[in-house]
Amino acid sequence: MMAMSEKFSLEFNLKAGENNFMSKNNKAFVGWIKSAPGITISGSIILAVFATIYSGPYILVNVIITGGMLALVATGLTLILGVLNIAMFAHGEYFMIGSLTAYYVFTPISNYVNENPDSILAITGPLIAIALSMISGAIAGVISEKIVFGPLRRRSTDNWVMNSFLLTVGLSVLLINLHQLIFGADFKGIVRYWGGMPTEIAGVFISRDRIMAFIISAFIVLVFWLFMTYTRTGRAIRAVSQDVTGAQIVGINIENIVLLTIALSCALSGVAGGSLLFMYPSYPTMGLEPLYMAWFVVILSGLGNILGAVVGAFMVALLKVMTVEYVGAGWDFVVPSILIMMVLIFKPSGIFGSEVRGVLDK
Amino acid sequence: MLLEVKELDAGYGYLQILRKVCLTIDKGEYVCIVGPNGAGKSTTMKAISGLIKPMGGKIIFNGEDITGLPAYEITQKGIAFVSEEMNLFVNMTVQENLLMGAYIIRDKKIQRDRLDFIFDLFPRLAERKKQLAGTMSGGERKMLAIGRGMMSNPTLMLVDEPSFGLAPQLTENVFQSLDVLAKSGVTIMLVEQNVTKTLSVTNRGYVLENGKIGLAGKSSDLANDGYVRKVFLGV
Repeated sequence: MMAMSEKFSLEFNLKAGENNFMSKNNKAFVGWIKSAPGITISGSIILAVFATIYSGPYILVNVIITGGMLALVATGLTLILGVLNIAMFAHGEYFMIGSLTAYYVFTPISNYVNENPDSILAITGPLIAIALSMISGAIAGVISEKIVFGPLRRRSTDNWVMNSFLLTVGLSVLLINLHQLIFGADFKGIVRYWGGMPTEIAGVFISRDRIMAFIISAFIVLVFWLFMTYTRTGRAIRAVSQDVTGAQIVGINIENIVLLTIALSCALSGVAGGSLLFMYPSYPTMGLEPLYMAWFVVILSGLGNILGAVVGAFMVALLKVMTVEYVGAGWDFVVPSILIMMVLIFKPSGIFGSEVRGVLDK
Repeated sequence: MLLEVKELDAGYGYLQILRKVCLTIDKGEYVCIVGPNGAGKSTTMKAISGLIKPMGGKIIFNGEDITGLPAYEITQKGIAFVSEEMNLFVNMTVQENLLMGAYIIRDKKIQRDRLDFIFDLFPRLAERKKQLAGTMSGGERKMLAIGRGMMSNPTLMLVDEPSFGLAPQLTENVFQSLDVLAKSGVTIMLVEQNVTKTLSVTNRGYVLENGKIGLAGKSSDLANDGYVRKVFLGV
């Protein structure tokens, strides 16, 4: 986690063009350490190292798993906020849809594998389930854009931030209750994806599923970041989030980008739900926790900032795991909430607030 | 005739600003629209570039009716718009901004050629290609906005208030770069508040007042016209 957050912060800084970390310029390094991202990132790393030495490496493992999942949900959230200017409060429901899909796809596969243990599905089955959870997230996103947000945008964009926010809350309630109505309110979980003996890494036993969950989220976040930075379409998405009129002027079809963005972000949320099904069984309101946590990340790292969201996800995960470890399991929402209030009071643009404008400024 | 605007009506919501505006531009011309604040100069530009939908009338570009097309299609037809607010991508580097300007060109090699062309034209941008657009000075941003407009190799360039909010020295720079573009054969339609300066550099001008074309003619004639001198130049 340390290496990762450091790498990202590094790239982030290169991107922001402020203090070039790579130049081996001592002054720049000291300047970076003193800046808000510097303080928080080095603080988190020190905290993580301290906790690892004090309580054992399993803390780090928990942080990495939670952080990877949060990064997926939060980047989607931040993308929707940046491009569509929607304060999305239904994002957890795409997480729920992802996990539900994974459950209904994986259960028959799992039954089949139990009867034929040598089948290739023992390895590929979970991947199929997770891939389908991603696709179902994307489809759900496209449907909600087509029947909810699109019509509203075409009708009127007056008071857009408030109206779209209220719509997402309504959508969230609707999807939660649809789940309850159709699939029931019970926990729909699986025992394991890949199973097998836990792997030992540096004296800690980590189950294969957790390792895979982390690999999947790390891989997707990386691919996503490369896509956003280097491809023509990725650049177009960033352009739309920075200046809609400018994007239209250079010849970008806004409608297409909007549809693509919502599909991508919901797919990210769906795959997070699918790949973590072995930890969090599917039930109607399961999306609320990742939603709130992702909002903590987005506020902490600054609205509409993708790389910041990845770093922020690991910070919030660290905070959550540390709170559970040292304060108590019931406090894991309280401490991050206090932190968010502090951020909003003292640094309203977020810690990595360079890529940021307030939602209302647009 | 490159662009022909016929009896254009346009505005925002229920507010109509342009009333039956007619104007034409030939290939290679450097035309300006001058007029007081609120006359509808920017509205004309926005309506031609597709950012607002015309309420009535026709816009014909290269013999093709482009009335009411979305902005991205109009850009693809070869009209570049440099807006008053510039609408740069502030968190992208100068080079990324320019490459976004060539969004409609898919060929990487042509993109590079265009980029080199812009860097030749504005050496200042080449020096700062790795800098974030948001951290540049006002004059440099204008240059970048014009450069980005040029990247798509447009047939017609609409430039809205390039001197807006700039110091006199920088205004001079911006006008010089537009001059270079005009001499290189790009058709430019310029909207400006700086009437004296504009009429001295352009070939032809339209005077827009209260959403209507009041006067039209050669820039030199307009500059000597008694009415224009009285109303805009205050002499």
